[in-house]
Order: sequence, then structure tokens, then C-alpha cells
Amino acid sequence: MSNDARTDGGTVTEADPGASAGLLAGIDGYRVLLYLGLLGMLTFFLIPIESGLVTSFKNPSGVSGSLPFAPPTGGTFTFEKWRAAFDALGRGLINSALYAIPATVISALLGSFAAYGITQSDWKQKYKAPVLALFVAGIFIPYQAVLVPLSQFWSMVPLQEWLGFLWALGINNDYAGVVELVVTHVAYGLPICTVLFRSYYKNMSEEMIEAARLDGASIRRIYRRIVLPLSGPMFAVVLIYQFTQIWNDLLFTLVLVQTESSAAAPIVLILAGLGTSLEGQDFALRMAGAFIAALPTLAVYIAFGEEFAEGVAT
Amino acid sequence: MGTLELDGVTKVFPDGDGEIVAVDGVDIEMRDGEFLVVVGPSGCGKSTTLRMVAGLETISSGEIRLAGQRINDVKPQHRDIAMVFQSYALYPHMTVEGNMAFGLEESTDLSDGEIETRVADAAETMGIAELLDRKPADLSGGQRQRVALGRAIVRDPEVFLMDEPLSNLDAKLRSEMRTELQRLQDELDVTTMYVTHDQTEAMTMGDRIAILNAGELQQVATPLECYHEPANRFVAGFIGDPSMNFFPVERDGETLVGDVFDYSLSASTLDDVGDVTDLTLGIRPEDIALAGDSTGDHTFSTVVEVVEPMGDENTVYLRFADAPEGETFIATVGGLQQVSAGDEITVEIPEETVHLFDGTSGEAVHNREIDE
Repeated sequence: MSNDARTDGGTVTEADPGASAGLLAGIDGYRVLLYLGLLGMLTFFLIPIESGLVTSFKNPSGVSGSLPFAPPTGGTFTFEKWRAAFDALGRGLINSALYAIPATVISALLGSFAAYGITQSDWKQKYKAPVLALFVAGIFIPYQAVLVPLSQFWSMVPLQEWLGFLWALGINNDYAGVVELVVTHVAYGLPICTVLFRSYYKNMSEEMIEAARLDGASIRRIYRRIVLPLSGPMFAVVLIYQFTQIWNDLLFTLVLVQTESSAAAPIVLILAGLGTSLEGQDFALRMAGAFIAALPTLAVYIAFGEEFAEGVAT
Repeated sequence: MGTLELDGVTKVFPDGDGEIVAVDGVDIEMRDGEFLVVVGPSGCGKSTTLRMVAGLETISSGEIRLAGQRINDVKPQHRDIAMVFQSYALYPHMTVEGNMAFGLEESTDLSDGEIETRVADAAETMGIAELLDRKPADLSGGQRQRVALGRAIVRDPEVFLMDEPLSNLDAKLRSEMRTELQRLQDELDVTTMYVTHDQTEAMTMGDRIAILNAGELQQVATPLECYHEPANRFVAGFIGDPSMNFFPVERDGETLVGDVFDYSLSASTLDDVGDVTDLTLGIRPEDIALAGDSTGDHTFSTVVEVVEPMGDENTVYLRFADAPEGETFIATVGGLQQVSAGDEITVEIPEETVHLFDGTSGEAVHNREIDE
């Protein structure tokens, strides 16, 4: 008994031999294999990114003369490709932001409204259920299935006429495509946003909402003052998810804006043709372009990272 | 003023193809400033009743009137009712001050200054003035409870509704808050409807108690009336701890014949009984007296099975000498009385303390006598 007590509460010097023996005992063959396996997987997943990054800093002789994942040496190192990529993609960055940011914010907000309606409002369950069913069904419609109806729909909408005042201000009328992208992405993202917010609002304390009702707040005021301020973590999740989806989407831009020569061409359209010519592919330029195109999504992750973790946990 | 009337209030929940009657024709009339405790076992419909008064549940039939006005179709936010929830339901993103001010901001046209003054006053009353800048997450359970109460009193409503507000507190804090709530209600003189499953809270706090069972109102009366003159067997068994002992008996002339004992009745008691023959005899544990010898009319020899010493008194589980083992009833005797398991003792069941209930309907046919 006294021996046990001493081992537990003993000083460092007394406990040392036992501790080091324990440490050695912990490292068995299984652990060694496990960590080696994990290390192997880490390398496997990081190699492409590392290769892309080092390639983007190489000049043509560096690209052809060294292994893809070998870093550039003094002679083959250059910022030239990043500069060229940025020159080519700059307008695409702005065009993409022009539709990705509004579409993300609007779809998140509308999703939050809709989810609030089908969870916390006192509408009858028999009216809520079909609405929810429609939203859930919306999630499962593949992009490819709507491409033809989508382009037909936009050819029927006289958007060019409606936005005439913008063209009169000297804005290129290709930007109608950006408006189309905003509306399309909001419509397409709304179901998943609603379902994500719904699960979050379902877990919100019902008694708290009832307390607010008894405190005299209307359904709108409850949303404004109670539900919206408490939705931060879920907004982080939805904003990150939607922004990444919309920013990276190529399919809708191909259908609605179509060409990289358009003034409203988003970054993904320009990136698709970047560094490809009759002489072959400029891998370094393509890599640099890819990283530039990925930077905004990375920035959004970093900006909302903390709330994101909280939102995913709930 | 805050008179609150429930008139045949009924709540029916649909359940698959059928329906469940949660509250069945409850009639309660509360005068202004009254503290009414609604008590009953879980699932008896007491919370549903409260939520109907609050407007959080629709009323299937019947009428609720506040100050003479029918409020069935008035939205909760317009009823001028404040409610304290079991979970406190504080707004986690607001400070204590924000929580308390919210109701005033939403339901009145008061200026910011007036709101601030009223919040400060209410916080002073509740002893939480120094917590106003904190958020609910930084408060202890007892402090949150005070904030929840403060949020209700700051609005100065016609009616307070409280849904088991003390059940999340530890025993010591609960008895403290019980006293404080009573003091507060007395001071504010606001009509209060208080729901609990705890009969101690019901006995100690209420001006009157309403006892519900299976959605039906059993009795509305003062705590002592409920205790000494229960309307039926359910009330008799629910109010009081340890609860009343019940023995099924058959009336045979002037005698009640039980499984293992006979009990003779006086003429006046027999008058109350009338022609009912199937009866239940009820006796409160503290009315069972230790008798020196077995010569009296209503004395019985018993065996002590278990003794639970509480300090001030002993809870004794007794068994009639002829009864099979395990068929016990409870008596409470003074803490200094030496009683131990296995003892054979003689007890008296005095006739003036006996309750009699109809064996089938459970209605009280005779209640104990009370010395005026």
C-alpha cells in the first residue's frame, strides 16, 4: 500500500526508471507500423500539393529538367509564372467574387429564413412537412440534369432588357451572365442551406423561443434578436461550404458565361485554358494559376475556421 | 385585475388515428393576487394546462378568461403573462440586463432610460444587481434561476406562470428559493400559477392547491383542506409524505371487515357511510399511535418490520400480526421512542382520524374530525 502511494506521488527521480520503462513498453511493433502507415498516407496526400507549389516557382528548364516534387534550385527559381498567372486571372478573380459573394450570402440568409420557418414557427406540421420534403428533394438534383433547362430558362428571361440601365452606365452587357450565375447558385444552394440550418434550429431550445414569444416578440423579431445572433456557427459552416461550391463550380459558368474571352469570365473559365497552347502545356503557369484560384476559398476557411469547428460539432 | 378563470378547459392531442385527452374539463377560478399551485404526477396534464394559459398550446374546448376577458385566441405575446421555465430559457447571447430588458423592449413603448431603471429595480429585488453585465453561461444554477425570475417580474404582468422553476436546484437552494418566491409573490401581489410535481412545494407555497390526475381536476382547496379533507382517495394518497395508508374493507353492519383486521364504527361515522359497503379505510402515518396495551376498541397488535430513523421521528413499517410478511403499513412515531425491527407492538388507529373512501369511485365518504 505504501509502495503504491510512493510510485504515484513520488518525486521525479524516484519515478524515472519506471516511467522510461513504461515509455519503452508503449512502443511496440503495432505502434511503429501505425505511425509509419500514417506518415505514408500523409506523404501520399501532400505530394501533389507540394509538387504543384514547387513547380509553380520553376522556369521551363526547371520543369523539364527536374522531378516534379524536387524544389527549384537557384538557377531555375522564378516568380515569373505567378506574375503571369495573376495578370491573366486578375479580372477573373473580380468576376468570380462578383457572383460568388452575393450568391453565398443570399443563399445562406434565405436558407436560414426557410429553416426558421419550418422549425420554430407555429405553422401546422402538415404544412411544414411537404415544404421540407421539397427542399430535401432539391438537394438530390444533379447539376448535369438541369443544364439544358437552365440555359433554356435564361434564354426566355429578358434579362438584357431589364438590366438596360446598367449597360447605359457603360457596363459590358456580358455581365448579365454574372446576374444569372447569382440567381442560379442561390436557387441551387438553397436546399442544402435550408437543411443544414434546419438541423441546427431543431436543436435550439424550444423553451427559449417560447420565452421570447411570451416576452412579446413577434416571429420576425424573434428571428432578428434571438435566432439570427445564435446562428453564427452554422452560418460559418454554410458560408464556407457554399462559397467553396460556387467559387469552384465550372459547369454553370460554362453554360451561362460560356467563353473565357467574355468580359464577365469567372476565374474558373480562364483557368481552364491557362497555359495551354499549340506548343504544349506550361505546367508552371497552370500550377501558379491553380494556387491563385484556390486562395480565396482558403481565406474563407481561415476567416470562419473557429465558428466552423463549432458549427460542425453541433 | 388579474383574476384568471379556467372554464371547462380541455386539451386533446391527436395520436395516430385516435386522440389523447391531456386535460379534461378543468375549472379553476383564481382571484387577483392568489398563489395557486397545480400539482400532480408526471403526465397528469398540469404543464399542458399552464401552457394553454400562456397561449403556447391551443385550447381544444372550454374558455380561459383573464380579468373577465376571453383570451383563447389572444396570441401569447399579447396576453400580458410572464412565464418562468424549468430550463430557465435564458437568451445565451445576451447579458443578464439584456435578458431582463428584452420583454420590456418588445412589449412596451418605454424609453431606454425607463427600461434601464425598471431592470435595475427588478435586479435589486432579486439580488442580482452585480450580475447585470454577465452572460448566462457565466452564472451558477441559482443565479440563472434568479435571472429567470427577474425577467418575469420586471415586466409587471397580470399573471405569472411558473413551470417547475425550482426542480433544477439542489435541495438546500430549493428550500431557500421556495421561501423567497413566497415572499416575492406576497410583495408583488401578482396572480401566480405554479406547476410542480413536488407535493412539499404545493403544501408550503400555495394559497390553494389544484390537484390534477390523468387530466382531470381532483380538488382545489387550501393545502390544509387537501391534507385533512381530501375529496378522494387520489388526493389523500398524493398529498402528505409518507403517504396515507389504505386498507380495502367491507362494511358488515357496524363493523369494517378487512383482510386481517376488523374495525368497528360509531353511529355518526356510519351516517356518513350510508349504504356503501365496498370501502377503503385511510389513515395518515402520524395518526397511528403506540398504545400501551391491547384493551382499547381500535387497538391492534403488530410486528415492526423496518425502522427508518429520521432524527425527529421514526418512520416505522408495521405489519398486522396476522398479515403475511411484506404487507406493511407506515406509522411515524417520535424520534426518541425506542422501536426496533422484530418488536411486537400494539398500535391504536383512533376513529376520529380515520378517512373512508368509496371502494370503487374513490370518493371520500368520511373525513377525519378536526378540532376547531
